[in-house]
Amino acid sequence: MSVCSPSTLALFHFSNARTLCRFVALTVVTSALSTFAFAADKIVESFERDVQPLLDEYCYDCHGNGTEKGGVKLDGFETAAELRDHKLWLRALKNVRSHIMPPANKDQPPPEEVEKLLTWIKRQAFGLDPNKPDPGRVTVRRLNRAEYRNTIRELTGVDYDTQVEFPADDTGHGFDNIGDVLTISPMLMEKYLDAAQTIVTKAVPTQSRVVAERSIAGSDFAVTAQPAEAVEVIPDAESAPKVEPAKAGPSAPKPMLRPKPVVEGRNLDLSYYTPATVAAKIEAANPGKYQLVVNLRVVEKYVDDQFDYNRCKLSIVADGETLVQQEFVREGDRAFTFTLDRDWQTGPHELSLQVEPIGPDRPQLRLLRLRLKDVVVRGPLDEKHWVKPKDYARYFPGDVPKSASKRKAFAKEVLGRFASKAFRRPADPATVDRLADIAMRVSSESGSTFESGVAQAMVAILASPRFIFREENSEPLKPGQDHPFVDEYALASRMSYFLWSSMPDDALFELAAKHQLRANLSAQIDRMLKDPKSTEFVRNFSGQWLQARDIASIPINSLDIFLRENPNPALDSAREVFRTIVPIPEANRTPEQTAAFVEARKAFFAFRRTPKPDLNDSLRDAMQKETELYFGHVIQDDRSIVELVESNYTFLNETLAKHYGIEGVKGKQMRKVELPPESPRGGVLTQGTVLTVTSNPTRTSPVKRGVFILDSILGTPPAPPPPNIPALEDAASPEKLLKMSLRETMALHATNKMCASCHSRMDPLGLALENFNAMGKWRDSELGQPIDPAGKLITGEKFSNIRELKHILATEHRQDFYHAFTEKLLTYALGRGVEYYDTDTVEQLVARLNATNGSPAALIKGIIESAPFQQRRQEASLHAIDDATQAEAAHRVSQNAR
Amino acid sequence: MNTSPESFAEMSKMNRRNFLRGLGACVALPALGSLIPSRLAGATASAGPKLATTATGAPLRTGFVYFPNGAIPGQWWPEGGLTDFTLNATMQPLNAVRKHIQVLGGLDHRNANAGPDGGGDHARGNSVFLTGVRINKSATDVRAGISIDQVMANEIGHLTRFPSLEMTCDANRRSAGCDSGYACSYVYNVSWKNPTTPMTPEANPRLMFERLFGSGSHGERALNAQRRMATRKSVLDFVVEDARRMTRSLDVNDRAKMDQYLTGVRDIERRIQKAEGFGPNVDPDVSTPSGIPATQVEYVEVMYDMMALAFQTDSTRIATMIMGHDGDNRSFSEIGITEGHHDLSHHQNNAERVAKVATIDKWYVTQFARFLQKLEATPDIDGNSLLHNTRILYGSGNADGNRHTHENLPLVLAGGGGGLLTGGRYVQHGGKPVSNLFLSLADQVGVTKLERFGDSTARLTDV
Repeated sequence: MSVCSPSTLALFHFSNARTLCRFVALTVVTSALSTFAFAADKIVESFERDVQPLLDEYCYDCHGNGTEKGGVKLDGFETAAELRDHKLWLRALKNVRSHIMPPANKDQPPPEEVEKLLTWIKRQAFGLDPNKPDPGRVTVRRLNRAEYRNTIRELTGVDYDTQVEFPADDTGHGFDNIGDVLTISPMLMEKYLDAAQTIVTKAVPTQSRVVAERSIAGSDFAVTAQPAEAVEVIPDAESAPKVEPAKAGPSAPKPMLRPKPVVEGRNLDLSYYTPATVAAKIEAANPGKYQLVVNLRVVEKYVDDQFDYNRCKLSIVADGETLVQQEFVREGDRAFTFTLDRDWQTGPHELSLQVEPIGPDRPQLRLLRLRLKDVVVRGPLDEKHWVKPKDYARYFPGDVPKSASKRKAFAKEVLGRFASKAFRRPADPATVDRLADIAMRVSSESGSTFESGVAQAMVAILASPRFIFREENSEPLKPGQDHPFVDEYALASRMSYFLWSSMPDDALFELAAKHQLRANLSAQIDRMLKDPKSTEFVRNFSGQWLQARDIASIPINSLDIFLRENPNPALDSAREVFRTIVPIPEANRTPEQTAAFVEARKAFFAFRRTPKPDLNDSLRDAMQKETELYFGHVIQDDRSIVELVESNYTFLNETLAKHYGIEGVKGKQMRKVELPPESPRGGVLTQGTVLTVTSNPTRTSPVKRGVFILDSILGTPPAPPPPNIPALEDAASPEKLLKMSLRETMALHATNKMCASCHSRMDPLGLALENFNAMGKWRDSELGQPIDPAGKLITGEKFSNIRELKHILATEHRQDFYHAFTEKLLTYALGRGVEYYDTDTVEQLVARLNATNGSPAALIKGIIESAPFQQRRQEASLHAIDDATQAEAAHRVSQNAR
Repeated sequence: MNTSPESFAEMSKMNRRNFLRGLGACVALPALGSLIPSRLAGATASAGPKLATTATGAPLRTGFVYFPNGAIPGQWWPEGGLTDFTLNATMQPLNAVRKHIQVLGGLDHRNANAGPDGGGDHARGNSVFLTGVRINKSATDVRAGISIDQVMANEIGHLTRFPSLEMTCDANRRSAGCDSGYACSYVYNVSWKNPTTPMTPEANPRLMFERLFGSGSHGERALNAQRRMATRKSVLDFVVEDARRMTRSLDVNDRAKMDQYLTGVRDIERRIQKAEGFGPNVDPDVSTPSGIPATQVEYVEVMYDMMALAFQTDSTRIATMIMGHDGDNRSFSEIGITEGHHDLSHHQNNAERVAKVATIDKWYVTQFARFLQKLEATPDIDGNSLLHNTRILYGSGNADGNRHTHENLPLVLAGGGGGLLTGGRYVQHGGKPVSNLFLSLADQVGVTKLERFGDSTARLTDV
C-alpha cells in the first residue's frame, strides 16, 4: 500500500476542519496554550512524516484501515492528545522491541525503521527528554512486614515476629513494597501501637540497677563420668534404634543403646539410658545469696503412636550437696525448671547433674533425652552488688543525673538519639522536647523510674508515623534541574531498604549527615552488597520475582502427582469404591459392598506402603534455599544475570539432589553442585520452586508456566484472559476431551482465534516444561503417554527440549530478559510500577547490562544512580496550591474593594 | 499442606477442644448478663430511635460471610415454591435450621461483570460483593467503594467496643500479581472503610481473641486489656501531633496515606473513650485459642466461634468473614478432594469435576450450618436465641464459577433479625441488584439518609 493512499488519508482525520477550529479557538483563549498547539503540530507532523508510512507498510494490515486485531488500531487519531496515548504506544514499543510484532511470518521492517518508530514513540508520543528525565512519584511508603521486623531488630535487637502479629501486606506489580497499595486499616494502627509497647518492654531497661545475672549454657557443662560402652548416636537418626523387625519380638530382648551425652547447639542432651554426670564450675565474685535456675526440657520424637516408657532419675548436686532428685518418664516435650537457693562464699563452686537409668525394663522404642538448656545464675541478691541491666548502655549512655533539670537534658539526649535513628533522619528539637515531656511526666508517676518514663516516650517514637512511614525530604533545586534530588537521609533509606530491607546503618547515616553519601555512592553500594544483610534483598526480591517464597505454603498433593506418572488402575477402582460406599451407612451395606470395601482398603494400604516422593517441609525448604542461594550467588559473585536462565550448576543438598535424580550429594548442607553434562537443571526455570508454584495441586499447568516465563523472564505478559472464555467443551465433546492428552487439549486453543493469539505465545513455553511434574521432578510420560516438550516460539525459534529453549532464551531473547529483569528490579527498588516515562531509564540500564555482560552490580548501581532513585518529581505541594488560592482570593478582595 | 506428627502435637497442645467446650460453658452460664456490658441495659430502656436493637431490646447483629468460586447452580437452588421448597444437595446441611433461613434467588452484582474491564471476575467477585460498585482496574490505583458493613458501622459502631470486626480463614498470600491486573487488595478484602482503605481482616484466631478480650488467661484479661488501653492512650497525643507535622510536608497523594493513619488513631481514641463508659472488659471463661489450626475444618470452626463470641458478648454488631478469596485454589484432602478448588471450578462439565466442586460447596455450607446451630443454641439477653437476634448473609460474588457469571448469585440470608426477617422461605427476586438488599438491611438497623448504595435501584421489600 502506498503512503498517500486515499484510504489512509481518509482514516487519518487530524487535519479536518472541526479539529482545526478547536485549536484555533484554544489558541485565542490564552497565549500559554500556543506552545501546546505548537507541540501538537509537531507531534502530528512527525507522525505523518516519520511514522505513518512505516505503520502503513508493516502494521495497518491488521491494525489500521478498519481492522483492529487484538483491539489495537494505529490509525484514525483525531487529535494530538489522542496521539499521546501512552498505553497504546507503550504496548507497541514493547511488542516491536521484542519482535512479537510484526509477527514472524510477516514482513519485517529494517532495524533503522524500527529505531525511527521507537524514537518517535519516546520523544513525541511520550514527550520524554533524555536529559531531563521525569523521576515519577513514589507514594510515601510505610514499612512492610519484613522491613518493620528488620528495622526493629536493627534498632532494638528485638525480633518481633511480624509474620504472625501483623496482617499480610497487599501487593502490587507482584511486590509487597509498593507505596500505593500499602494501606493502614484501623486494625493495623492498633497493632502498631501494641507492637511499639511490646517491643519497648522487651528491649529497654526500666531500672538503673538489677541483680547480676548470667547464663551457663548446657554446652558449657563437661562430662565427668559415663560408662565405657556408651555409644555415639547420630542426632539425625533420631527416634528408634534401628532394629530388624524380625528380631524385635519379645522373645529376643535386644541390647539397650546407651548414647553418649551430645551437644546440640547451646544445649546438652543426656540420654535416659546412660548413666552420666556432667558438671560446670561457677565462680562467685562476691559472697552472698544466689539463685540458680536450671532449665531442662524432655525431648523425644513422636513417630507413629510409638511411645517409650523407660525412666531415669536426675540428681542436681551443688558443691557435693544433692538438692534435687526426680524421676522422669516420657513427658511429651515438656519443659522443667528447678530453682535452687544458695548462700555462697567468694570463689569457685560446682554444679553437677547426674542421670541414672531406672531399669531398663521396657522396650527401647525412642531415644528419650533430658535436654539441659542452661543454668541461670542470679546473684548476689543483695542490692549493694546490683549491676547495670543488660543493654542499658545501648539506650542510656551514662548514669541518670540527680537533679531534675539535668535529668530532662539527659532524657532529651537519650530520646533525641533514639528518635533520630528510628526516624532515619535527625529529630527536630520540638519533637525531642515533646518526647522528653512524656518521659518526665511518666517518670514522676508513682512506681515509675526515670528509665520507665524514657521507655514510654520510646513507645511513642515507634508508634509515630515518622517511624512507620519513610519520610522523604528534597534538596533545593539545582540550576538546570526540573526535579530536585531527595535529601541524603532519604537516599540512605532508599538504598538500605532496597539492598537490606532495613534501616540505614551508622555508616550511611553519618555520610548522609555530612552530605557525602551521594559523593560515595559506588563504594557504599559495594559495601552494602557485601554485608550479610543483603541476603534480605536476595530473599525478598527473588522470593517475589520468582514467587519462590510461595513454595512454603502452596498446596500440592504428591500422591495424585505420583499417580499421573505411575497409573494404578487397582488404586483407581479402590478409590471409586470408597467414593461410592463411604456415604452408605455401614448397616445398610450389602455383603458384596462390605467385601468390596475391605478389598479396597487393602489395595489402598498396600499402595500407601510403597515409597513415593513427597513434597514435605524439608524438600520445600531445600527448594526455597536453592533459589535463594542461586540468586544470591549470581549477585554476590557478580556473575552474569544470564546465568539465571542458563547455567551448569545449582545448589543442592541430599534431599533435593535425590528429588532431581542427581547422584553424589550427601547430607543436609546445601552446596554448589556442578551439574552432569546434558542435565536439564541449571537456571531458575527448572528449579523446584518455580516449577511447583506454577502448578495446580494435582497437576502441572502449562498455561501458568507459560505466563510465568512471558511475564517474569521475557517481560511481555500476555493480556489477561477475556471474561467470556468459551469453555473447552465447546471445542470438543466431554467424551473426546477425556481421551485427549494434555498437549492435544492445549491444541484446541489454536482452533479459536481469540484463544490462539495469546496461547500460541504461552503454550509452547509451558509445554516445554512438561518433563517436570507439579513438584519439579523429572518424568518421561504422563498418564501412560510420552511427553513431547518440542515446540516453536511465536518469534520463530524451534526447540526440541528445555535445554534448547533455555539456550534460545539466554541468547536470542537476551535483550528481552535484560529488559524484564531490569523492570522487575526497578519496580522493587522504587516501590512503584515502571511507567512509560521510565523508558529512557530502563534503556540506559539495559545498555549497562550489555556493556558489562549482564553484571548485576552494574545494574544495581545504575538503578541507584538513576533519576527515579535519586530524585523526586517536583509537584505543586498543597502549600503552593493553598498559597495560590489565597493570593487569588486576596486579589479578588482587592478588586472588589476598588 | 502436610500434616506432620509435629503439627498433630501442636494441635493437641493448643487445646482447641477445650476452647470449644468453654464456649459451651459460657453459653450455659446463668449469669449471662455479666457478659453483656452494663451500658446495654441502659440503652434498651432509653427512648429515641433504637439503633441496631431488636424490639425486645437485644442487640441486632449483622454478619457477612463470603465463600469462594460460586456454587454449582444445579445443586444449589432449591426446588419448589416460596415456603414449600426442598433444599437441594448442596444446602442439605441447612435443613436443621431451615426455618431460620431465606434462600435468595434472582439477586445480581452486575458491576462484577466484565463490562469494559475485561478479565478479572474473581477480583471483582470479592470486592463488589459488599460494595456494589465498579472497581477501578489497576494494580496500584485502588478505588473501590465503601462496603455496606462499614456504612452500618459508621452509624451504629459507637454502641459497641468494636464498630466492626473483619476476619478471614485465608491466611496464605501468593506473591505474584493477583487477578488480571487488579490490585491484590481487591482480592483479599471484602470490607472497605472508604474507596481507598480496605478493612484488613484478621486471620489468626489467637490475635482475634486477644483483640476482643485481652491477652493472658481467664481472670487476667480484663486488667491486661485495660493496661493496653492505657498505654495506647499515653502515646496518642504525641503521634497525632507528629502526624499533623508530617502532613505539612507531604503532597496530595501522600496525605491520603496519612489520613489512613489518622483515621486509625481517631478510631482508637474513640474506642478508648467508649471503653470507659462500657466498664471492665468482658472475659469469657474459655482458654485463648493458640494460633491457626492445622486443618481447615478446625480453622473455619474456631473463626466462626470468634464471630459467635463477639456477637454474644456484644463486642460488635457488625462482622465480616472471608472463607477464602474468590479464585482460591485450596485443596480439600480432608474430604478426599486433592485438586485445587479454582482449578476444579472450571469443570468443563466433566461430571466427576462437577461432583467434586459440589462437594466443596457443601463442605462450606456444612461449616456455616454448624455455626448457625451454635448461634441457635446460645440464649441471648432477651431470652431469644442469638440466631434470632442476628442477620447473616452467606454468599459468593460469583454465581457459576465455571462461566464467571454474577447474576443469580448464591445467597442465603440467615437469622431472625430480631423478628424482622421471615425465614423458611425461598424468595425469587427476579433480577434485582444485591445492593437493593443492602439498603433494606441498612434500614433495619436504623441507618438513615441512605438513599442509594452501590448500583441499587430501590429497596428490597420482601425480606
